[in-house]
Amino acid sequence: MNHPGILHNRHGASPLAIIAFIAIVALLIAFPGFVESPYARHIMVLLFLSTIMGESWNIIGGYTGQYSVGHAAYFGAGAYGTLIVMNAAQFDQDKLLELKDLAQDSHLSALLLSAHYLHPWTGVLVGMLAALTLSLIIGSICFRLRGPYFVLASIAVAEIVRISVLNLSDLTQGAEGILISDLPPIIIGGRTITDFSTKVPFYYIGLGLVLLTILVTWLVQNSKLGYFFQAIREDQDAAHSLGISLTFYKNSALAISAVLTSLAGSFYAIYIKFIDPTTVLSLDLSVQIVLISIIGGIGTIYGPVVGALVLVPLSEILRSNYLGESLVNSGLVNPDSAVGNFLTENLSHAHVLIYGILVVLVILFMPEGVLGFIRKIMAKKRLGRS
Amino acid sequence: MAILEIKHVSKFFGGLAANSDVSFEINPGMIMGLIGPNGAGKTTLFNCITGYYPPSKGEVIFDGRRMNGLQPDKVCKLGMARTWQKVRPLAKMSVVDNVMVGALCRTNSLKLAREMAMEQVRVVRLEHRSNFLAGGLPIGERKKLEVARVLATQPKLLLLDEVMGGLNPAESEEIIQLILDIRKLGITQMVIEHDMKAIMRISDRIVVLNSGEKLAEGTPDEIVNNPEVVAAYLGSE
Ligand SMILES: Nc1ncnc2c1ncn2[C@@H]1O[C@H](COP(=O)(O)OP(=O)(O)OP(=O)(O)O)[C@@H](O)[C@H]1O
Ligand SMILES: [Mg+2]
Repeated sequence: MNHPGILHNRHGASPLAIIAFIAIVALLIAFPGFVESPYARHIMVLLFLSTIMGESWNIIGGYTGQYSVGHAAYFGAGAYGTLIVMNAAQFDQDKLLELKDLAQDSHLSALLLSAHYLHPWTGVLVGMLAALTLSLIIGSICFRLRGPYFVLASIAVAEIVRISVLNLSDLTQGAEGILISDLPPIIIGGRTITDFSTKVPFYYIGLGLVLLTILVTWLVQNSKLGYFFQAIREDQDAAHSLGISLTFYKNSALAISAVLTSLAGSFYAIYIKFIDPTTVLSLDLSVQIVLISIIGGIGTIYGPVVGALVLVPLSEILRSNYLGESLVNSGLVNPDSAVGNFLTENLSHAHVLIYGILVVLVILFMPEGVLGFIRKIMAKKRLGRS
Repeated sequence: MAILEIKHVSKFFGGLAANSDVSFEINPGMIMGLIGPNGAGKTTLFNCITGYYPPSKGEVIFDGRRMNGLQPDKVCKLGMARTWQKVRPLAKMSVVDNVMVGALCRTNSLKLAREMAMEQVRVVRLEHRSNFLAGGLPIGERKKLEVARVLATQPKLLLLDEVMGGLNPAESEEIIQLILDIRKLGITQMVIEHDMKAIMRISDRIVVLNSGEKLAEGTPDEIVNNPEVVAAYLGSE
């Protein structure tokens, strides 16, 4: 019998999937209690950061099919918004302690007191607003264009943002970048967090943001928005003729994506405590953001999670030249030989190249991303069995 | 009163007049056939009417309202929907999801949209394919999907661009029945078709385009007996 296409599974969350999701989240919540290694926690934070970026981009790139390669602009908006306001709030250690004491007495007075100051964390909101505004401006320019022209326009506009930040040095400190030494405390439910050295607060902020972006994606996918975004991705002329306003829905997708990306930027800024145009506004970063979804699988809720799980360890392994050194250390390769020399000396410098080659290979051989590839194999197995 | 008035519509692509000074009217409830040799400007006329691009000259009046300059999404919301000659399935979405996109033009509720969509999927007899990816359907079923999807937008006027193109006789017959069923629902239709027998059978009136100009208009009988049409169009086949 001729077999027109694959049977499409409606993926309404099955009970098993829900249980698995809850179990994984519970494990992640418990994780810092068991693992104290700062490096392990650091890797987890990087995984979260990548996932947040990937999920955010996925809304405009994966679901709506508009390949923005300028998302560093929104990431930068979040990062700069957060740190500029934090610095402007002239974080005062004494006031802070006062606030902390009060917070233990009563939440209300602490709140009242803090209302008299420009709250240092307002920057996160400022970043979100900046990203939103930027997305509407960028959308109104770039969405006149389609396909590769849109991609190029998105790159160009992000470059304009980077160069502007570089030159508005009164506000942004230009190429020098912004450094903060201490983070202001976070008050959550009467508990004041001042100790960030354990990385635990970052871990939970990151995890919270991951869950937020997954929730937003889920809500989008299960609403009119998701249907319209995907229709635009599949065929925008058809979508237009079916009553979908391209301008409105493309801009909505970009706005959601931009605001979430700015949160990733804020998170990065407070975690690293240093930002400059080269790290948070570069084309490099824009490309990285795109890759997370593409490698994992675009237009799916968990694609970016998989992408982060592949890319973060890959870049860590290559950066630390773990591979080369372990080959040498295990005695398989003589460290003084040409090969050994190459592995220890040159390979560590070539990690970007290798990273690039691996990414190209994945894109070539798994056009639907790693998640799509896994699904295909599982579908084949299922067919083979039945 | 006519549901659609096309008044002196012209469309130029550079020096080429794909439509020149085309005028006719469509009355509610009828099936208007639109025929003409390849490149006559039939699809271009659909594109001008539905806002895909604006006519270079002339007016399109739908339901008493001037449509020039309205975007396709507005046109659809106002009740005029079209299918595409080269089908445009939303390939990575299922059949029912494709149709739901059309239904969501009228409701915000996914649940309601799904019910509305399933109804249209049944009208075109694709219920056995409702959970298949649209991209995997054979051409006959893709054509049906095009029709189900526009029906879900609840149009008053339906513009069908060669929905029988590339189909075998049995499939064509199914589409003919479908068009007649749609007429029974009270939906006005304008149908582009190359299959002469079919178009003569279903149309109340027919407009013939040739090199962008309206060559003739009349009932199917008048058209087959029009010497100009026979000479310029039917004779050339
Ligand atoms: N976007 C465009 N740009 C330039 N020329 C165009 C464009 N669209 C159509 N044309 C030209 O306009 C003329 C009319 O084309 P149209 O597609 O309307 O014909 P048609 O009657 O639908 O033909 P067919 O029966 O083959 O579908 C053709 O000569 C075509 O090449
Ligand atoms: Mg045509």
